Amino acid sequence: MAGEAKPVTAPSKSALISCRNLTKIYKMGQSEVRALDGVDLDILEGEFVAIIGSSGSGKSTLMNMLGALDQPTTGQVTINGENVGTMKSKSLAEFRNATIGFVFQQFQLLPKKSALKNVALPLQYRKPKVKDAAQQAAHALSLVGLADRSGHRPTELSGGQQQRVAIARALAGNPKVLLADEPTGALDSKTSTDIMKLMQDLNANGITIIVITHEDEVAAYAQRVIEFKDGRIISDKRNEEAAA
Amino acid sequence: MNALSTLGLAASSIIERPLRSLLTSLGIVIGVAAVYAMLALGEGAKKQVEESLNSIGTRTMQVWPDWNRGRSSQTRPSMPFTEEDIREMRAINGVFAATGTLTGRGYTIATDISDVNGNFLGVDPDQLKASGGEMKLGENISFADIETRRPVVVISEGIQQRLFDGQNPIGQTVKVNNVAFTIKGVASKPDSNISFGNDDLFAWAPITVARERVIGGNRFVQNHVSNIMVVGDIGQNLNSIEEEVNTILRRSRDLKVGAPPDYRIFSSRGWQEQAAEETKALSFLLAAMGAISLLVGGVGVMNIMLVSVTERTREIGLRMALGAKKSNIMNQFLTEALLLCILSGIVGLTLGFFMSKLAMDTMDVELVFSPSVALISFGSALMIGVVFGFLPARRAASLNPIEALRHE
Repeated sequence: MAGEAKPVTAPSKSALISCRNLTKIYKMGQSEVRALDGVDLDILEGEFVAIIGSSGSGKSTLMNMLGALDQPTTGQVTINGENVGTMKSKSLAEFRNATIGFVFQQFQLLPKKSALKNVALPLQYRKPKVKDAAQQAAHALSLVGLADRSGHRPTELSGGQQQRVAIARALAGNPKVLLADEPTGALDSKTSTDIMKLMQDLNANGITIIVITHEDEVAAYAQRVIEFKDGRIISDKRNEEAAA
Repeated sequence: MNALSTLGLAASSIIERPLRSLLTSLGIVIGVAAVYAMLALGEGAKKQVEESLNSIGTRTMQVWPDWNRGRSSQTRPSMPFTEEDIREMRAINGVFAATGTLTGRGYTIATDISDVNGNFLGVDPDQLKASGGEMKLGENISFADIETRRPVVVISEGIQQRLFDGQNPIGQTVKVNNVAFTIKGVASKPDSNISFGNDDLFAWAPITVARERVIGGNRFVQNHVSNIMVVGDIGQNLNSIEEEVNTILRRSRDLKVGAPPDYRIFSSRGWQEQAAEETKALSFLLAAMGAISLLVGGVGVMNIMLVSVTERTREIGLRMALGAKKSNIMNQFLTEALLLCILSGIVGLTLGFFMSKLAMDTMDVELVFSPSVALISFGSALMIGVVFGFLPARRAASLNPIEALRHE
């Protein structure tokens, strides 16, 4: 019960993401699993953060909280000044659309749609309606170096290119945070390097990036590495090499 | 996400899976076609029955003396009807025409140069209306003719053909029983439902003249007539008229309460109404069959949509993660089901139209294009879309994005 014993401080106003006493409990039949156990965490705007840990450490649960896909059992998640924990499903959807850009391990591209249409997908749900969605999507594709592939379907692209399309899709809506869940998990090492370098470039241009990974090589590209174990943060280090 | 882009999304989803969309829609196409064809067929049959119900023959009741009386039984013979009875019946509410006829069959109707055997009838002006005939030339027998006992006659086209070679016979003279009649008009033959067989040789004279100079009177009553025809107005309940006819006749012949009548009333209304009932039952049965096939089609749609939701679970999860609300997902799948059903409905309606046309041609029923039938069958396709699309759409909308994204 360490979470309850800890003094709870107010969420940081300067941080883009601020977690206070973040706890998530899953009920599995009779027993309870504390996937997150009183996590306090601040992530500043413009940071490139890697969250590492073995499976079951709680990093995926954290990613769901930070992505506004799930809500905590207790505690607070404040993203971009808004308390995600108390939002209704409808506002959560709008919030995700406006604030978060997701990158998934399995790319999650729609196989029958062109790269451009895939990238434009989040803009479909944007309110008010985006008038120049196609141009915005094309611009996002050019940011990941795939301007000449906009008409290709995902099956006609390599794995690395597919993940670039997915990153472009995450960027298309101009989110505050890029949230990447094992972005190189389905890629070979060379392509992984390209993807991580692309992320570094994007971060250098100002966007906040959070990468969830269990690979130290991937984490090495981040400026800050936070390690999870059993639902708690066990280390939070500056990565001197990457930061330099 | 507005309605138009939801529609576009649904359309592209249908186009992206052409074979599946085609197979799914087949059930609805057949269902709508069946419902349309069945209903249209039922309407056609109903219209036919209605027409026959409104025809003069069906609206007519004939009153005849009971011929069984006075012969083998110990009963007293039938009293003849009188012109007074007819006048009373003409005053009944809802009566289109009431007429008494004095029949004299097998008379020779002759000109100077030829003759023909035909039906010679004593009539009043209502005879023409009641028998469904119409004047072709000249004028009908009038009440004045009856009053003043003018020896005039209206002949049928058959007689006109036989005696005058189809020429205009108005003003000419024919003799019946050596009584000279001036031809006043030519009329078509009576509706075959009423006439005596297909005979088309008729001569109609004022009833008074026919009685007094040709056919002869009756020793029991004055102004007797052989039989009565009463025709109801279109849509009139013939049963209530029949009741009043009974009242009039029982009173005029002084029948005691409970005494059996010495006359009989014939009407084809009974079996016509039965036919209408049967048609109604048939249409209902046919429509029910169509509805069942539509239901089966609807279950097919639901089935495929459920499969589609399962198959596209990851897509749904992705869309939710990217900002789709539950309502967006719900609308997407509902629109897809609805669009599928609308397209199927259009195809089914076209198919049903030609199916019913074919059926009606072979069954010799007039094709009725009824907008209400089209609307019902198309509307049922829409309803199927909403009803059977709802469950899969709700299932899609209630998915948890995290689990949906992890779905294999």
